[in-house]
Amino acid sequence: MTKPSPETKHQPWFWTSALASILLRLVLIVYFPNTLNFSSRPEVSTPVTSLRRLAEGYWLKQASMSPYAGSMYHGSPLLLSILGPLTVNRGEGQTSNLLCGLAFVLADFITAMLIRGIGQLLQAADIQSLKLLGAGGLSKFSENFASGDIAALVYLWNPLTIITCLGYSTAPVENLMIVLSLYGACMRLAPLAAFGWVVASHLSLYPVILVIPIVLLIGSGLDTPPKKLFLQQTHGDDHKETTNLSLNVSTFSWKRVVVFFLWASAWALYVLILCAISLKEYSGLGEMFKRTYGFILSVEDLSPNIGVMWYFFAEVFDFFRNFFLIVFHINIFFMVLPLAIRLYHRPCFLAFVYIAIVSILKSYPSVGDSALYLGLLGLFVNALADMQFSFFLFSGYLGTLLLSPVMHNLWIWRGTGNANFYFATAMAYACFQIILVVESVSSMLNHDRALKRGTATVEKKVQ
Amino acid sequence: MTSSPEDDHPKPKQRPIIRLVIFIIAHSFLFCVACTVAGVLALLLLPVLAKKTYVSENALMPGSASPMISDQDVSGATRFINELNSLTLKSPTAGIEIPRLIALHMANLGGEVSYHKFQNQPNKFHPLHFFTSPDAEANIGNSSCESYATNTVGIIRAPRGDGKESIVLVTPYNPVNLSQNEALSLGIAYSAFSLLTQVSWLAKDIIWLTADSRFGQYNSVAAWLRDYHTPSFGGVGKLHADSCHGNNGVHESKLDMIIETEVSDTFRRAGTMAAALVIKVANTGEESGQDSLNIYAEASNGQMPNLDLINIVSYLAIHGQGLHVKLEKLKSLLDSKWLKFIGELFESVGKIARSLNPQWKFGIPANEYVEGSATLVSSLYNQALGVPTGSHGAFRDYQVDAITMEISPKLSRNTKGRQTEFLFRGGRLIEGVIRSVNNLLEKFHQSFFLYLLTSSNKFISVGVYMIAFLLLVAPLPVLAAYLFSDAAKSNPNSENSKPSKSWRWLYHSKTIFLTHLWGAIVSVIPYFLYQIPIPGSGFGSGSDSEHVARLFLWGALSIFILSVVLVFSGYRSTQWALLKSVMVLAAFIGLCLMSVINFATAEIGALLLVPMCLMIKPLKVAGKLQSALNMVLVIVEFPGVALYLVKSAFGLQNGSGYVEFWYWLESLWVWNSATYIYICMVHLPCWFLCFYILFHPCNV
Repeated sequence: MTKPSPETKHQPWFWTSALASILLRLVLIVYFPNTLNFSSRPEVSTPVTSLRRLAEGYWLKQASMSPYAGSMYHGSPLLLSILGPLTVNRGEGQTSNLLCGLAFVLADFITAMLIRGIGQLLQAADIQSLKLLGAGGLSKFSENFASGDIAALVYLWNPLTIITCLGYSTAPVENLMIVLSLYGACMRLAPLAAFGWVVASHLSLYPVILVIPIVLLIGSGLDTPPKKLFLQQTHGDDHKETTNLSLNVSTFSWKRVVVFFLWASAWALYVLILCAISLKEYSGLGEMFKRTYGFILSVEDLSPNIGVMWYFFAEVFDFFRNFFLIVFHINIFFMVLPLAIRLYHRPCFLAFVYIAIVSILKSYPSVGDSALYLGLLGLFVNALADMQFSFFLFSGYLGTLLLSPVMHNLWIWRGTGNANFYFATAMAYACFQIILVVESVSSMLNHDRALKRGTATVEKKVQ
Repeated sequence: MTSSPEDDHPKPKQRPIIRLVIFIIAHSFLFCVACTVAGVLALLLLPVLAKKTYVSENALMPGSASPMISDQDVSGATRFINELNSLTLKSPTAGIEIPRLIALHMANLGGEVSYHKFQNQPNKFHPLHFFTSPDAEANIGNSSCESYATNTVGIIRAPRGDGKESIVLVTPYNPVNLSQNEALSLGIAYSAFSLLTQVSWLAKDIIWLTADSRFGQYNSVAAWLRDYHTPSFGGVGKLHADSCHGNNGVHESKLDMIIETEVSDTFRRAGTMAAALVIKVANTGEESGQDSLNIYAEASNGQMPNLDLINIVSYLAIHGQGLHVKLEKLKSLLDSKWLKFIGELFESVGKIARSLNPQWKFGIPANEYVEGSATLVSSLYNQALGVPTGSHGAFRDYQVDAITMEISPKLSRNTKGRQTEFLFRGGRLIEGVIRSVNNLLEKFHQSFFLYLLTSSNKFISVGVYMIAFLLLVAPLPVLAAYLFSDAAKSNPNSENSKPSKSWRWLYHSKTIFLTHLWGAIVSVIPYFLYQIPIPGSGFGSGSDSEHVARLFLWGALSIFILSVVLVFSGYRSTQWALLKSVMVLAAFIGLCLMSVINFATAEIGALLLVPMCLMIKPLKVAGKLQSALNMVLVIVEFPGVALYLVKSAFGLQNGSGYVEFWYWLESLWVWNSATYIYICMVHLPCWFLCFYILFHPCNV
């Protein structure tokens, strides 16, 4: 069933495509800096990711004021120190953030390479699990594509990723950190995973919930079919095999998890010390937490974006505002535990579902978040080969994303529409995202069930 | 895959929806035919469904005050017109004298006068202009004195107002060659202006813009608006303008002195504009018993002003002044027999309905139906082109509601008494409109922005005409779903090299994407064609043969790029059913997007595209009759041919085909019309894909 070296067959094709997409971004950044004005679109740049606000925060810092004064910048001081100097190089008042653009292209490229790495690890683990389950008859249950290559190319060539890269938002950096933590966890390198997780949560609050899939990855390894299937196999096989299997199946190494948490606390301490040093003349860590995490949690800025929270909080009475804030944010946390219970044997897929849910329900979503989970969706093509409604979802995404700028134009520039038009497209977009999440989870569960039936029939044949 | 009991995971919340969808898909042929027929029928029914207009904003109260315009104002206007006429006849430098005369009179009346000099900007074609805002272009050009024109702007500051809002009166005229009609329009505006300097009820400032239209009416107003809304702090152009102004030859010293003291050189502004009226006088040449008023409302890309503005003008004209209000109609349709037949049919249906139940008020007389359809078709055509029907279109870009009022006196008005009466009528009308708009507290927001007019007092709102459109495009997703499920069922082969069933459409969507990319490239080619210097031409000054040469070059380049795309995209190994399914969905998304941007384009585009998309099948698969029909459709729907047929059907044809086509396209580019982008990026790729499906080898 194994094809003759599929990786080598795909590789030259992969590298040319990847380099072509990088070249496209470079051409668009260098030659069309002002015509494609993506950074002014609300779908692309949000108050927490906008580079313009970062530049203002950096200028305030250079002028010996706290970067959070004036309520423009709401990000991390570390990002200010890294990306801030790159925003200063402007000539003749033109907004040519060329160096920042190059930095974001680099971040995209590294993210794609890391996704490819994760995909290769996942594929190897998949092949191994299928072999352990008696893979001969099970080949028809999953196609064998180079999912790493496909996912990396989907990420690089996704128009949403390109638009985010050209739109001067810091979302590529956040995506890079999230993927770095997942990669570290897949490679079972606790320091790398801890670093990625701490920095990702520091930059935007929501990757905190990724601690569950990362712990599962570090503790018990990559995605496998449900453990029950392995235990079924022990009935008809040699005794030697069963001991190997039981070793593989039942270990959850708490030692590694403890090491991970130690590294995480070390990195967190380091990051907090750096932030404190960076802000010590102004106001310190308290203000940083209030302006970054507090801003994200309290939804102070109600400018329209592609999410659903701005419209609601523009209408809610002050008396109920805190109550509804709690309701909206707990919505994410309520979904964490049941999903973890159902999908604990597939931690990478669990991470994908978490990222998708966060990008629907977070307070300031943008298309950069969608770019990330659409790229990660490519990692699971083998299992999701039978996803229903994929055509409907694709056209729905396309239609909504094209309609959203038109409705914005109708509302703001022409004055013949109003906020309801724009919010309608935001709701439709959220609907399609939810359908995507539900369909992918159900087809993954179907895949597991198919495997279970497959092993049951194989077992019957053996017996 | 056999389904064992534990796999029947019920999705209770989806099941009824899925059942309904499966039912519709199973009867897709019937559904498609029914919806298309219903859509066309709804479109024909639109003039019957038009409702009477009503003034929606209660603050406007048109006609509630009696007009205050007096003999003094009108006699001043008559003197003004006589001075203008004598200046035109006597002086060779009238082009400079007339603005100064106007400025003098404005200053005498008590307004603040200023000059606005602007240059004729050659219209540049840039493919991305549709997506940028109107004031993104820089005002650089060659600075010879001949290319400057002067608008004279007079402002009355409301004595009790706060100066934050204004109402604009625009009278375009050509100072080099002043016609009698333009002088009359200046006179009407003068009488209104002289009244408004004395009234006490003024709450907003009044701006009177006499637009120098030697380079075109639209350009003058657009240039003034651009400078009004983008303050520049001492640019180079201004210095050139001033030096030109001072270098003119000897003139009467008295005029000079008065002007120098009272006219300012700075650009005067008066706050945001609540509404704008463009006043013109025309000879319709018709023998009618009344003075008549023509209203032109369409702005660029099919935008219309708020319906309230048209309502108050129409109400005041009919009830206040006894004018006959008309909208632009398509004359050729007034005589068409089949339209009369349909009108009589609807009238008889209405009579039957009323006889069954007297409360069902349905149906209008046949001649009203014919006139309403003629107006509707003309309005749809103008909106679909996306080209403004007058200089009021420039105001819409800045969210100001504006219309053009073209007053035409009945014939035999050459007597002085007749002219005075005409000035009175026009002055009272304008005074009434300004008094109404003066009452506004907020900008126009109550009434409709999205509507179609079938006569000056009947309209169709978006909730009604959108139904006609939706019925027409509803078959498209159903057809796509039907073809998709059909192709999935009928192809059970599972070669290992192809992706699994649910993702096969990805391969075909790559084909569709490449075709649309070709369409986008075709739309951008003319920009590069203009960069290539064809000997002896600049933009817009080329001869007919150069235009034909450019047209053929464009066609040749498009075909060449298409062949390159064909090689790369692997058209060979597609299944026609899946390809058609993805194409139909792409057409659906394109049409829906276009309906939000410019409804009229989407409606006409849907009428053209939906029958072709529904009926197209490969020649090898379809029956003879259907194949013949498909061939006819594919030939007819090619954009050039379709335009030719539409224009000759409605009698709008003038000139030879190719040059006419090029001029028509140029007008679309110059006005940044979205229709051009629609034609190149939705209609053309769909047409080509239908063409390809028709000749599909069908070996899969």
